[in-house]
Amino acid sequence: MTAARRLLVAAGALVMGYAVVSALADPDVRPLGVLVFLVGVLAAHDAVLLPLAVGAGALIGRFVPAPDQATVRAAGLCSLAVAVVAVPLVLGYGRTADDPSVLPLPYGRGLAAVLGVIWATALAAIVVRRIRKRTERSSGAPAPPVDG
Amino acid sequence: MVREPDPGVSRRTRLLDRLLDRPLPAPPAALRRGPLRAGAFPSALRSARLTSQLGIALAVAFGICFGTGLISHLVQHPPGWFWWPARPAGLYRLTQGVHVATGLATVPLLGAKLWSVYPRLFAWPPARTLAHAAERLGIAALVAASLFLVVSGILNIARWYAPMPFFFTAGHYRVAWLAAGALLVHVGVQLPAVRQALRRRPAEPRETGPREPEPREPGPREPEPREPEPREPGRLTRRGLLAAVGGGAAVITVATAGQTVAPLGGLSVLAPRRPGTGPQGLPVNRTAAAAGVRALALDPGYRLTVEGPGGRVALDLAALQALPQHTVVLPIACVEGWSATATWTGVRLRDLVGLVGTDPDAAEADVESLQAAGRYRAATVPPPHTRDPLTLVALRLHGEALHLDHGYPARLIAPNRPGVLQTKWLSRITVRSAP
Repeated sequence: MTAARRLLVAAGALVMGYAVVSALADPDVRPLGVLVFLVGVLAAHDAVLLPLAVGAGALIGRFVPAPDQATVRAAGLCSLAVAVVAVPLVLGYGRTADDPSVLPLPYGRGLAAVLGVIWATALAAIVVRRIRKRTERSSGAPAPPVDG
Repeated sequence: MVREPDPGVSRRTRLLDRLLDRPLPAPPAALRRGPLRAGAFPSALRSARLTSQLGIALAVAFGICFGTGLISHLVQHPPGWFWWPARPAGLYRLTQGVHVATGLATVPLLGAKLWSVYPRLFAWPPARTLAHAAERLGIAALVAASLFLVVSGILNIARWYAPMPFFFTAGHYRVAWLAAGALLVHVGVQLPAVRQALRRRPAEPRETGPREPEPREPGPREPEPREPEPREPGRLTRRGLLAAVGGGAAVITVATAGQTVAPLGGLSVLAPRRPGTGPQGLPVNRTAAAAGVRALALDPGYRLTVEGPGGRVALDLAALQALPQHTVVLPIACVEGWSATATWTGVRLRDLVGLVGTDPDAAEADVESLQAAGRYRAATVPPPHTRDPLTLVALRLHGEALHLDHGYPARLIAPNRPGVLQTKWLSRITVRSAP
């Protein structure tokens, strides 16, 4: 390992140590609560969300026509990312009765609109590609090497 | 480029290296089931190049979030050496807006990065050497801290605190240091792998470039597939995935940034706040009822006490209104990432400082609210802000008397300062000569 890398690793370890020590010394930090949340998000991501995403990917590979798969996977990725941000807003537990300026929008409708735009775009891309392929074929242009 | 360790490197270091690199006994092969099997993750899209590119983008995003977050922390808890200017008036609005927007845009990036390295979670054997075990523990800390920061940030802007068994601000801040340290370690460990992954351009097939001898590297990596460029139509390529990640980040940004970039308002259907929504067209974070100050704020006996080395005055609302009034346009910028510009009218803080015989150009002020308790009951206005003619004890908002929820009868509004420090329902100002 080069000196620069050793230095990076050592500095990082020091900073991690500072994080732990300063957290334990901070009266506003509840270390156990922080630890529970750290482990909780790690487990929820690695054992639930990511396996579900991988499973969804396998389903796409199985049921979506091969030429459309990339578009569907890209749209799925965008949808999942937007949903992660939107779900706490849609659930709306942060609303309070006396402050209507908190979470003022209908987020369920907003999420539906964003997902609608994403999937309409994906559908448009798929349709355009199919039409293009058909015109290519009917105009006698050489077909691409592999045709789905 | 890479030399053998200097002869001067102590024998102790080498002993430690040997200990860390001694192979650990492998667990029985019968345990290697499910995702632990070789070839359990068939996607050809995963590659060191993809992971490196996502990793670099993620490191930049984390750097931005860490820097802007640190600024916000230091402004709220200034150590002696820290200095924060009063101008430009909208600087904090920018840094905190960038902090929240970058954090939200990180969601697809972090998701794709973790997906790209998911098979490594099931590496077999789980720990080859002590060094490998330590590295994996460091990775666990990095992943957990990254997810913690993104998830807690999202919950905070949605103001949903029940799932977080800790005080958000303090936990988010300390875990950011954990993530920063773990990221430095990770970069240090992975630097050669990243360099190699990015060096290999598909155009120039130089398979056997100068590869550093890396005794600490985690052994032979899975054979790196050459760039699996798109032969089959419809297969998601590395570039396609990067474009999808960028697209997801862009969609999230447009859907939320209207909470601080007003022109995006109509498109930002997922903005947790609307700059124009609230009493008198301005959002509220803490209402008078929630702060428990309704009765005191509406009491006709209300007085604002200003005390300094040179005297003490108690001003009722009429007395405050009788002082020279000034109108300023200043943003209110919340730590949660929303902000809104408003027109405020009131008395300059520096005029009040002068009233109690202190030089307004070299003074700082402690401001206190009518609230009996609460984290943001009191704040310190440092010298640059105390001196600034834009800093007001505001009595009016958009030309009307302040709404009770905006701090009636009087509130602080200063340039370049987070909303939680713009103390509402002022009851007392204590002026000191600045050291």
